[in-house]
Parts: sequence; C-alpha cells; structure tokens
Amino acid sequence: MVIDVYVPLVASLLLGAVSPLVARRMPPAVAACVLVAASLLTAASFVWALVLLAGTLYEDLPDVAADAHARHLSIPDPVPEIIAQASIVLGVIVALRVAMLVRSQRHTRDLKRTLTGGSAANTELIVADSEEPRAFAIPGRPGHVFVTTAMLRGLNAAEREVLLAHERAHLRHHHGWLRLLVDVAAAVDPLLIPLRGDVEFLLERWADEHAARATGDRDITARALARAALLSANAQRRCALAFADQAVIRRVDALRNTPPRPARAWAAIVVACALVVPVITADATGDFVDLFWRILPG
Amino acid sequence: MRRSAGELESQVLGALWASEKALTPTEIQSEVGGGLAYNTIHTTLKRLYDKGVVVRDAEGRRGAYRPVTATAQATAEAMHLALERNPDPISSLQHFVSGLGPDEERALRDLLDRKR
Repeated sequence: MVIDVYVPLVASLLLGAVSPLVARRMPPAVAACVLVAASLLTAASFVWALVLLAGTLYEDLPDVAADAHARHLSIPDPVPEIIAQASIVLGVIVALRVAMLVRSQRHTRDLKRTLTGGSAANTELIVADSEEPRAFAIPGRPGHVFVTTAMLRGLNAAEREVLLAHERAHLRHHHGWLRLLVDVAAAVDPLLIPLRGDVEFLLERWADEHAARATGDRDITARALARAALLSANAQRRCALAFADQAVIRRVDALRNTPPRPARAWAAIVVACALVVPVITADATGDFVDLFWRILPG
Repeated sequence: MRRSAGELESQVLGALWASEKALTPTEIQSEVGGGLAYNTIHTTLKRLYDKGVVVRDAEGRRGAYRPVTATAQATAEAMHLALERNPDPISSLQHFVSGLGPDEERALRDLLDRKR
C-alpha cells in the first residue's frame, strides 16, 4: 500500500513519455481525446495522492503521538516524514498554479468580450481591419472566427474556405474546452506539462483534417496552411518577433500524406491504463484509513 | 457541398474584404466559385446588409456592395491593444498558424511554387 500511493506519480511520468507516441500514431481527434481523458484521470489521482501523503503527518501531531504512546500502540510510519512534508510544499505550488490558470482564464474571457463587442452577435466572421495577418477561433455561444484583412487578402477564395473550415472545426468540436481541461490537468500535476504541447498540436491537426474533408481537397488545405504561415512569417520579421516552430511543417506534411487510420485498440489500451490509476489510488486510500483508525485517540 | 446560412455569410463577407473594390453578386460568384447560385449570393448579401455588415456602394456601380469599415477598425484597435499586453491574452486562443524559422519558410515556398 505504501507503493500504491506513488502510482499516480509514476503514471504521470509514463503518460508524459507515451504522449508523443500517441500523438504520432493515432488520428488526431482520437489521440486528443485519449490524452485529455488520461491526463484528467492521472491528475485527479495525483492530487489525491498528495492529500494522502500529507495526511500521514497527522500521526506525528504531539497529542496523537502521546495518546498512542500512553495506550502502548506502535505508531505506524507508512511514509518517510520528509516525503509527507514535500507533498505539502507541492500542494502549495499546485494551488498557486491553479490560481494562475484561473486568472489567465479571466483575462481570456475579457479579451473575448472586447474582440466580439463591436460586431453583430449573429455573424460568424469577425473582421479586424489590420495589416497584421492573424486568424483564430473565439469559442463561446455563439463562437466566432476572427480574422484580419491582411490574412483575408493574402489568401485566395479556396484558401479562405480552408481557413474558415479549420476555425469552425475548433468551435464545433469544443477544442477550447479540451485545451482548458489539459491546462487544468497540467496545473495540478506539473509532470503533465509536456502533454499540453502535444494536445495543442493534435487539436490543430484535427481542425486541419476537418478542413480537408470539408473542402474535399488535401492539397489546397496544405497550401492554405503554407500560405498563411508565410504571411505571418513576413509580418513577424517586420516586428522582429520571429520564433521558429516546426508545427506548421509537420501539419503540412501530414496533409500531403493519406489521412491517418483509426486505431481504436490503442486508444482503448491507453484509456484502460489511465483508468487503473484512480483505482489503485482508491485502494491506497483504504489502507491509509485503516492505519489512522487504529491510532485514533480515545 | 451544402453550406449553412452563417457559413455562406462568412464566405461572401470574406470575399468582399479580400477585394480592393466593391463587388456585385456576379463578381462574387466568379470569385468564390464552388457553384454557388446567383440567387444564393444575392440573398446572403441582403442578410449581411440587414445586419449592417455591408453597405451598397454609394459612389460606384449599381448593385455593388462593400464591407463596413468602422467596426473592423475598432476591432483591430482592440486586437492591437491586447497584443501589446504582457502576457498577450490572444496567444491563449487557437491560431490558424504560428511562426516560422528560415528553413521552414524555404520548404513552404517550395511547396507553393510547385505546379499542381
């Protein structure tokens, strides 16, 4: 049982190691959902394990220890005190990370309001008359596609259709929520931070595949991505803000290959493994409860 | 492909913004392609007009439309203000594309230059 309580920790490390593999092998929609589900299960178990470990300090409280001593009970010491103390420190860090996430969510909500404020609520497309080529999805009810005039003018009609279909996929398949969930998981379980990048990439790939299906042309979809990336690269050079990113190249390459095949068996295996983690953590909880019951004063 | 009314509006509005000049329904039809009927485009323009997103070209040709710029300029201002903030809250939204290094740029240019 002492080992059980460390399982979420090991599972977090394992999930971080497996996630790039999942991202590469499975179709993006399946892979993204699998990773989000696995990260939530693991993160929840991780937090609970922290609570259990910190809880073992209870038996070291002077009153409890004196009482147990008076009744000639041996004080069980399931985990080293230093680990229990470390989990309290980690708990404080987790709380701070969650507070930061809540704050950034509030900023994002305010931003959505300012960006959509001037436009009619019932138009899907929000245009900003700006020289900076940008396009993104603004989730909400209803969601909007935000695009600047520089981006619209840099693409031809077929490429604009790809852009719209891509952003619509983000809105229709609730990618904003999936991203928030993996952010929450990474906030409470810092070992899952590497998963955020993988999920982010998968959501883009998912939207690309959706756009390729909607327009019926993988080649035009790849071209639209390339064109938009070059437009923003030129703009960034002007503002001296250039930063390298392989993601667009990987997405273009994926579109030039055949669409990925479903991999249900692999998806099931990863989710099943992730489901085992909370079960083991619950088992550890039972053992800890038994221990404390024994030394409970009175 | 069947498109919803909202999707048609985005397509037509996108074409109007991409164009230098005001466009008539026939011009939009040839620009967007995809076998959209003249009537469909006309109805879509009417809806955009009712929402106050496009206006009839006053000095230009009869039947031509152009997008309303005032809202788009205010929206651009809001976007630029947000981009200047640190951390930039727009980076938390899902972007169509992100930045590029020089090697990636060359690879993408090669792709676009290739004959289809």
